[in-house]
Amino acid sequence: PRRGGTGEMWEPADAAAVPVLPPCAGCWIPSPSPQDILYRNSGCRKLRPGKSGARLDFAKQLGHFFMDHPEDAFGSMGRLLHKNFYLGNSKLQVSVCLGRMVLSPSIPLAVSTSASSSLQRPARNSTIRMTALMEDIDRLEARRGCHRQHLASRLRWFSHLCREWLFEVPLGLLADCLHEELMLQWSDLLFNDSLTGGALAWLPPRDTGSCIGRLVHPGGQAMNQLYFQDMVLEKLPHTRGFPAQFELSGRIWQVAAAQVDGEDFVGVRSDYHCGVWRVPGRTGAVPTPLQVIQTDLPASCLTVSPHLPGELAVCTQSGTMYLWNVETGLQQLRHDTETMFFRDHSPWRWSDFTAHPRVLSCADRTGLQCLDARAPRKCHFDLFKVGEEAGCQQGERVVLPMYLGRAHPSQYLVTTQFSVYMLDERLPLVPMLKWAHMMKAPPLFAQLMPGHSGRSHKVVLGASSSQELLLLQYQGERYWGSQSACQLAGAPQKLHSIAGCLQHLPTQLPHRHHLLQQRLGAPAAGLAATLQEDGPQESMLVFQLSEAGDVFCQRLTHKAEAELPQESCASPQPTPAVPSPAAALQYRRWLRTLFRGCGKPPQHTWTPSLSQRRLFTRRDLEGPAGPSALQSQVRQWLRQVMREGGRIQHWEPLALQPPALPQPPEPVGSPDPLSTRLMEAWSGDWEQWWEERTSFSVAQRQQALRERRRRQKRARARRSLSASFTSSLTYQSELSELSDAGPPLPSPGRPPVLSQEGSPPASSQLAASPPPSPAPEEALLSSQSLRCRGIPKERRKTLRDYLSVWATEPPDSPELPSSQASQLCIPSSQSQLSSASQTRRKRPRMGF
Amino acid sequence: SSHEHKLNFTKSKEVCLSYIQDAMLQKQWKRAAEFLTSYVEALEKDYSREPIGPSEMIWRIGTEILCHHSHSSMREFNCFIEQMKTLGIKRYLKVCLEHVFHLLCNGQTDEAYQNLSLAESWRFGEQAAIQDKEMKLIRAYRGLLDYHSWSKQKNILLEHGLDGFADLSVEQEMHSSFRKAAVNLKEIIKIPGVWDLFVKCYVDLLEFYGDHNEAHQVLNEYAYNSKFPANPNAHVYLYQFLKRHGESKKSLVSALKILHDIAPSHELMIDFNTMLQKSKKRKKRRLGLEVIFAALDYAGWKENAKAWSCLARQVKQIVISDKHLDWIKQEWNCRKDWWPAFHFSRYLAKRNWQENKSLSYEKALVAGILLGKDCKYFKYVSHQGCKAQVKRFRMLKKFVNRHNPVYLRICS
Repeated sequence: PRRGGTGEMWEPADAAAVPVLPPCAGCWIPSPSPQDILYRNSGCRKLRPGKSGARLDFAKQLGHFFMDHPEDAFGSMGRLLHKNFYLGNSKLQVSVCLGRMVLSPSIPLAVSTSASSSLQRPARNSTIRMTALMEDIDRLEARRGCHRQHLASRLRWFSHLCREWLFEVPLGLLADCLHEELMLQWSDLLFNDSLTGGALAWLPPRDTGSCIGRLVHPGGQAMNQLYFQDMVLEKLPHTRGFPAQFELSGRIWQVAAAQVDGEDFVGVRSDYHCGVWRVPGRTGAVPTPLQVIQTDLPASCLTVSPHLPGELAVCTQSGTMYLWNVETGLQQLRHDTETMFFRDHSPWRWSDFTAHPRVLSCADRTGLQCLDARAPRKCHFDLFKVGEEAGCQQGERVVLPMYLGRAHPSQYLVTTQFSVYMLDERLPLVPMLKWAHMMKAPPLFAQLMPGHSGRSHKVVLGASSSQELLLLQYQGERYWGSQSACQLAGAPQKLHSIAGCLQHLPTQLPHRHHLLQQRLGAPAAGLAATLQEDGPQESMLVFQLSEAGDVFCQRLTHKAEAELPQESCASPQPTPAVPSPAAALQYRRWLRTLFRGCGKPPQHTWTPSLSQRRLFTRRDLEGPAGPSALQSQVRQWLRQVMREGGRIQHWEPLALQPPALPQPPEPVGSPDPLSTRLMEAWSGDWEQWWEERTSFSVAQRQQALRERRRRQKRARARRSLSASFTSSLTYQSELSELSDAGPPLPSPGRPPVLSQEGSPPASSQLAASPPPSPAPEEALLSSQSLRCRGIPKERRKTLRDYLSVWATEPPDSPELPSSQASQLCIPSSQSQLSSASQTRRKRPRMGF
Repeated sequence: SSHEHKLNFTKSKEVCLSYIQDAMLQKQWKRAAEFLTSYVEALEKDYSREPIGPSEMIWRIGTEILCHHSHSSMREFNCFIEQMKTLGIKRYLKVCLEHVFHLLCNGQTDEAYQNLSLAESWRFGEQAAIQDKEMKLIRAYRGLLDYHSWSKQKNILLEHGLDGFADLSVEQEMHSSFRKAAVNLKEIIKIPGVWDLFVKCYVDLLEFYGDHNEAHQVLNEYAYNSKFPANPNAHVYLYQFLKRHGESKKSLVSALKILHDIAPSHELMIDFNTMLQKSKKRKKRRLGLEVIFAALDYAGWKENAKAWSCLARQVKQIVISDKHLDWIKQEWNCRKDWWPAFHFSRYLAKRNWQENKSLSYEKALVAGILLGKDCKYFKYVSHQGCKAQVKRFRMLKKFVNRHNPVYLRICS
């Protein structure tokens, strides 16, 4: 039987893992999620990892490239062409004087002179005005997210012409690179084997009495800072002093450590660099970097020899394996791009040490081999093979091999995505123990805590993406072939993951909760575990590192057999439901630091804005500088009200009831038709009401028709009389239409004081003007009025849209001429429009 | 919608399974059992094509829970297993075997034996043929239990035999046990594999009845048949057998030689070395030196005082006789770049001196000869030894100083 005896009882001391380090400064950039890479429309389809059915969102990524690296994409072509693109506002004119062409107004002098010296052909022909195109692009930007997004024909034309040559980077090449990168990112997302081994190491205290160990972990926004942090192991481990810090040139993937001759050697692997540090035995001694090597291909493995100081094993992707000695340098042991036992596409390689300091294991996804560093080509044997001998499943692959030398000199642990195998190098190929771990993600990290004097050895397995942690105990005898075989002891046990502490944190605001969820749910990046004895109590500390750089710790306490009542042997006490006060304090502290650092995330709120330039010419927009007297008065008034904490009472009704009522005329004071209808329906004589209603509407329609005819007549008469009055009047009716279409926004510039003053003319005007007519007539009228104001047909619609959406105050409004006092009641937001129309209207007259 | 229903069903099945797993991994056996009762529904619509179907899941999970649940009894367990046997005909024998293991772990040997006999007589059309492998294992384990009862009866007989009182029926029973055990054990060890336990028992039986030739043949087959995995234990058993029967030194050496090739770090290497050192043949003594050097290469031997004394003795012999220094030289050549750091560092000198004086003595001797009197290890240990006024260490210092030229010759 695989399982024998009862394992030791280890009980979690707290409800969840507790942060031991303050969150690293600066915001963490989450690694890409599937949504970032996959084509959006296929999001609803179920992703099956086995099939290569992932559709990468290629166009979006290419678009990102053009947006993020415009200098690379268009730089040189832009420099070449900038003479030929003119971005000014005025018309492009060419004046020829004495054989010199001068482009007015904004071509730099240098260009014109050089043009004069070298070019004789007219510059007009080689320069185009891009303003309109830019405006089109702006408009396109502004309309992003709008459903009716139609491409301007000019843009289409331009892109059709320039698609082939405008960017520097050859598209085919870029596409290949991008595709490759996307595939890489995608495969990383499915399974990132760079993390194998984990980037967290614990350097145990040197003398058994001491409780100060050292945690080696990466940090910083790019995970390229290496920290050596002294930790005091008490009930909750806490930091002591400041960490020794090293900045590396790449993201740290793996931190491996081993103790040789009382000194710790720490190996650090990033993609193209591997380094080794020595940490002297004295507490508080400064770690010294010893050597760094650079590799051509990304390194996939770095292990530190437990036998000889300053010796490490390095593997690069696609099959080169080195023995690295700090004194003698690198020795290549193996170079083989093929996998060992059968063909597998993965370039991942691993290497570890064995019981013999000169014999190294060498692994790929298909199995393990041991080879002698003294004669690597000749002396080797197979240690583990994915296949029948080990009873492997189909598709099973080696994920992490580990030498268990500290527990037993000849034992080896091999994990695959399905099972855990224990091997003895003296009886290779036949695993001594096989156990299906059933973890959701393949175990990329493993930590051994050897148990001495007949006690079980503990192994903690850790997965990356699911953050799972599993504690196993096994008993292996000291000398193979004697009484006890290698067996699991007791049931495996699940440990807390980082994400599990979310429910114990104080309640957060939703967006913070989301942020926390994202942060705590980040894939695990490392694992370290240690046993600690303080007096009679023995405890196990398990540290877990996340990709966000957070280090969380949990403590398990050992329950000796004698302490336990017989019953609880089978059903232990459940883990505490709430975190201890100390842990809660730690959580709060951690959260505070986290949100202080991340409180101001870079705001990319991209509010759509519309340029007014393309609606009106500059001259239209030109107005007297400074706010009008009216506006300043209103502002003053507003400030005063705000100071007093009062309410603005007068302008509210005015805003809701524009001078011209868009509603069909209803008797004042009577409820709206719906309410009356309901009321009637309730009282039972609904039919009668309907009769009345239909007859009323017939009468109403006749009335309206009559009104219209009358109005048209009057308008004709007015046009000949006074244009200015007409414009103001039609403007009012138009405004009423607009405010009907859009929500009645209370414009901040509206003068409540003046409204009282201005109401007599407004009311008189209302009285003078015919009663408002239904909307279609208004539209007709307004478009007429627009036309008669000289606004071209194409612009009318835009203008109306514009006004309906952007009923806010423009930065500078022109001061109104005092002669048009009747217009004062017009909301200032539109006043500039009227003044524009005024000027427009006036000009031709001046020309007469 | 039936497809959807199927999908939902599978989903909830998976969720339920993950709950069970979660509960089990947190040792909440009661909760796991509750979830398992819901999971039983999965049996109704078993569409899965997975390698492990729901019925197997239930068997495995149920067994695990019953093993740990505080309120479970052996009777309940047996009841559950019987149900599982009928539920999964495809793995009937596997379930039987695991059940037997459980019974044995709980000391119920007779029940286990009964179960094995029952399983052996199980026939179910083609299924029995498909589970041929398991059937062989069941027979083998029954053989093992027969052996067990045989050795019990043998002990009874031996005790009573001394009194001159022999119980005939016991003796007969013992012989019949022997026959039953021998037949089954013989079968299993014919199949290539690692059968340490069965081989040992079978050899024991044969030896008791004096069939040494057969036993020897079995062990030879087990050790040398190339179809079997290279198993160091096979050679250990052969060596022990040969030693028991006073076989010639030559055959013992050849058995150990192969063991040395397979597992140079086996603890028998010390015996091997002493055997070879005593030999008159130069070649063998040479091999002895190789063996002990190779053993000390391994991390597990680092602090093995016995091995170090073997090496020290042989090295000393060679130095004193001043013959075959080239042997040492040759062995040392491929180790001189890493043994000093591996064995003879100052840190180790300190630690060995503190923990084990005689180990440090042996190591210092070897270090002094191989690395000269200026080597850190030797210097530290001899200094400490002289300071502590231990005669042995003073002698050591003298010896190394006298033979310092040897070091130069080894190094050159």
